[in-house]
Parts: sequence; structure tokens; C-alpha cells
Amino acid sequence: MSINRKNLSYKDAITEIDEILSQLENNELDVDELSEKVKRVSQLVTLCKEKLHHTEQEVDKILKEMDI
Amino acid sequence: MTESKKYLSVKLRNEYQCLTLGMMKEQLKLSELNGLVKKTVVEAFTAPVWVIGEISELKTNRSGHCYLNLIEKEENGDAIVAQARATIWSYTFRMLRPYFESTTGQQLTEGLKVLVSVSVEFHELYGYSLNIRDIDPTYTLGDMARRRREIIARLRSEGVAEMNKELELPLVPQKIAIISSATAAGYQDFVDQLTNNQAGYHFELKLFPAIMQGNQAESSIIGALEQIYLYENFFDAVVIIRGGGSQADLSCFDNYNLAYYITQFPMPVITGIGHEKDDSIVDLVAHTRLKTPTAVAEFLITGVAQFDAQLDELKNRFIKTITEIITDSKNNIEQIIKVIAPVTREKISKVNSRLNQTVWKFDNSVKLFVKNQDYRLKRKEEIVQNEFKNFTQQQIRLLEKRVRKVSGTLRQNAVTNHDKLSRKITKSENLIRIKLSDSRHLLDLLFQKAMLTDPDKILARGYSITTYNGKALKDTDLVNPMALIETRLYKGHIISEVKETIKKI
Repeated sequence: MSINRKNLSYKDAITEIDEILSQLENNELDVDELSEKVKRVSQLVTLCKEKLHHTEQEVDKILKEMDI
Repeated sequence: MTESKKYLSVKLRNEYQCLTLGMMKEQLKLSELNGLVKKTVVEAFTAPVWVIGEISELKTNRSGHCYLNLIEKEENGDAIVAQARATIWSYTFRMLRPYFESTTGQQLTEGLKVLVSVSVEFHELYGYSLNIRDIDPTYTLGDMARRRREIIARLRSEGVAEMNKELELPLVPQKIAIISSATAAGYQDFVDQLTNNQAGYHFELKLFPAIMQGNQAESSIIGALEQIYLYENFFDAVVIIRGGGSQADLSCFDNYNLAYYITQFPMPVITGIGHEKDDSIVDLVAHTRLKTPTAVAEFLITGVAQFDAQLDELKNRFIKTITEIITDSKNNIEQIIKVIAPVTREKISKVNSRLNQTVWKFDNSVKLFVKNQDYRLKRKEEIVQNEFKNFTQQQIRLLEKRVRKVSGTLRQNAVTNHDKLSRKITKSENLIRIKLSDSRHLLDLLFQKAMLTDPDKILARGYSITTYNGKALKDTDLVNPMALIETRLYKGHIISEVKETIKKI
């Protein structure tokens, strides 16, 4: 379940958010699950935003290796 | 054309005859021969000739003259069947080149097939060459178009033309491999544009430098692609860009090998090779074809921005939905409270009034009951009191009667018993008196007898008592010789040892 930044795929993230949203909109979620889902979506959005705007160390490393 | 050809063939035949005649006459010096050839050639080609040839070499020198090598290849093959050196003098070249390039959109360069107007020349020292006076770019255009069509048809028939387009461009293309010339202005603009995009999206850019025009472009670009292929899983897309604007040479992008390589490439290729009019074959097979590097950068930024917007949209919808759910729940609860309060109050008041009623009823009935009971109790009490009184009086009467009866009987019995007793007492007194005198008499007799049997009195008369082990010895069988026996006399005791026992027969 847990996605860290390194292997976060934009597609997976957006698919998951989409699923949670449609569950919400179709009233398929229990009120008790709400806070967990809110946490999850906020985590996914933050990770995506982070990745959109910042360099990943791993990526930098690979790029540097190409120059050798 | 046909006229001039006819004229040419007649003239050539005449020259040939002259030459044959000369040779027959005498030995010639090489210069004389070459001079003859030159003369013949000049006479044979009085006017320029339109000729088709492929440029195999092209060089310009400092003074602006252009030196070329024209060839003709075997049809359906690569073998060269004819060859000629050619020149374009700088004056002509300055006009011809822009004319050709603006018409074809194509640099005048090696590999092109051209239709040129030439004057045929022969120099004693340098030999045969063609001086190009004019060029017909439409022929080259036609030839290029035909070649293009052939290549496209071939790629289609091989079923590969659409393969790169079928690849999925990642949702957020951020890691970009760039194929470009490092020094091209277009490249630098492209990098600047992506690096300094307004939204601040981050792009990973890596240049794989290549030669972007001329005959070496094909192998150079394929070489760059091979390098990128080593990082297949790292990059999201490959971008092929070239400094835009000028009517640059597109022919290297109409190359079958390069196009084929791109169709087989495992990641999406985006082109921005700066050609306004036509799509090159590379453009046709690329995943996405854009006109300029700027357009490519814009495309990438827009792609990321779209994802970002989608993310925001989802986020906002999510927040909205969550807020709605919470608000709905709150409203529901409030609604429930609103409904419940009055209903409860009503219920309570109903129950309350019923309770009051019941209490009141109960109170009344209890009072009534108590009153009833009280009355009945009093009645019972009266009855019981009466009955008790009756019963008691009756019992008293009965008892009095019985007492009277008993006391009568008792009195009678007492008189009778008294008489009986008096008589018995008298009789007993007489009997006792008789018994007493008899007893006194008997006592006297017994006393006298006792006086005779006293042991002391017997011992005094000379009798003795022998004892053994404290018992009176009456039989000799009870003692053995040597036994110690005691003999009691009237005065004192004798201890003696038995010597012998003699049994009395």
C-alpha cells in the first residue's frame, strides 16, 4: 500500500485518487474510513507535487553516471 | 531538345571522321591529341546540355567556386555506371544555390539527384569536365518526393510505420533525452524554456549530441539513439530537435535507416526539427511531430501542466466531496435532533399525563377500597364480638355446670375414702404391734447364739487355727512339705515348716 517517492508512479497515484473519489461520490465509503482516506489522498497529492517540482536524488545520480 | 540532340549526333560523327583522318596521317604529341579532343568537344557542344546526375561530392573553395563530382548509378543498384567532374563558378553559384535551396527547402549537397544545364569542357591538362550554368530544382523536388514515397511505402509495407506512435507517452514526461547539436541555438533555447518554465516544473534533460544535417547525420543520430537505448527504463521520451528557422537540409530525415530505427525504438520520439513546409519521414514515424524545439518544449510543459491540473481538479473534487459528506452528516444529525426533540417531548408529556391519570385513578380506588374494607372490617368485628360474647357466656355456663357436678362427686368420694382410711390405719397399727414383739424375741435368741460362736472364745477354750497363705487350712492336700504355715492361738502365733502330711482316711 505504502508508496514512497522513489517508486511513485504518477499514473498509479492518480488512479488511486480517482478510485477513492468515485467511492466517495458513490457513497461507498464508511464515515469511519474518511480520515484514513483523506490522509492517503493528501499524501499522494503531496508526493506528486513534490515530484513535479523537484529533482530526485536517484535521478541525478543516474544522469551523472551517464557522463562517465 | 530533340533538335539539338539530332544536331549533336551529326556533328559528333563529322568530328570523329576528322580525328580518324588525323590519326591515320602521323604520330601526335599528347598535347596535340588533347588539343584535338578539346577542339572536337568545343565544336560538338556549342550549346549547353541538360543532364541528370547525382552529386557524389561537393566542395566550395575560398573564392566561392564550387567543385562537384556527378555520378550515375545503375538502376536498382549502387554500381556507378558514369562519372564526371563539374564546376560552378562563384558568380553562378551565388545565384544558383539560394535559388535551389529556397525552391526545394533542401541544401545543395551530396546525395541529391539534380538536373543541370552544363557546357561540356575539355582541358588539355585537367581533362573532361562539366561547367554548370543552370539548375532545375523541380527535378530534384520530384526525385526527392519519389524517393520519399518509396521509403514511406516500404515502411508501411513492413508494417512498422506506426510502431513508435503506438507507444504510450508517460503521463508526466519529465526525463527527456535530447538529440541535437550541442551548439545549436535551438537546443539552448529548448533547455532554457524547460528549465525556466513558469510553473516551476522540474525536467531532467540529458543531451546526446549528434550531427543534425548532411550525410553523416543518419549514422550520428542512430548512434545517439543507441546510447539512449542503454537507459531505456530511465527516460520518458526522446526529443530530436534542430535549430529552427532557416531553410535547412531535411534530406537526412528522409532517410530509411533512421526512420526504421525510430519505428523500432522502445520509447516515444518527439521531433522538432524546424521545418515549416513538409514533414520529413522521421516526422512521419515519430510518436509526436512538432515543428520547432520551442513547440516541443511547450508540448512537454503542457503535458506536465495537464497532469498537475488534473491532480488539482481531483484534489478539489475530493475536498468538495469530503466537505459535502461532513456537512450532510452534520445536517442529518441536526435534523434528527430537530425531529427527536419534539417527538420525545410529546411522548414524555403523554406518558406523564397517563401516569397522572393512573395515579389519580389508583388513589381513588385505593381510597374506595380502604373505605370498603374499613366498613367490612367493622362489620366483621361486630359479628365476631357478638359471637365471642355468646360463645363465652355459653362456655361459662357449661363450666359452671361442670364445676358444680365435679364438686358434688368430690365431696361424696372424700367422705367414703376418709372412712376406709380410718379403718385401714387401725388394722395396720395392730399388725405392727404384733410384729414388733415377735421381732424382739427373735433378737434375744440370735444374740445368745452369736456369743457361742465367737473365735476368741473358741481359741480360749484351746482350739487353734492354722493358715496357709492367709487362708484357713482345712485339708492336707493344700500344703506340701517345706511349706511355711502359721498357727493362730488364743494368745500369739506359731510359724512352722511342714515336715509331713498325713491324709485322714
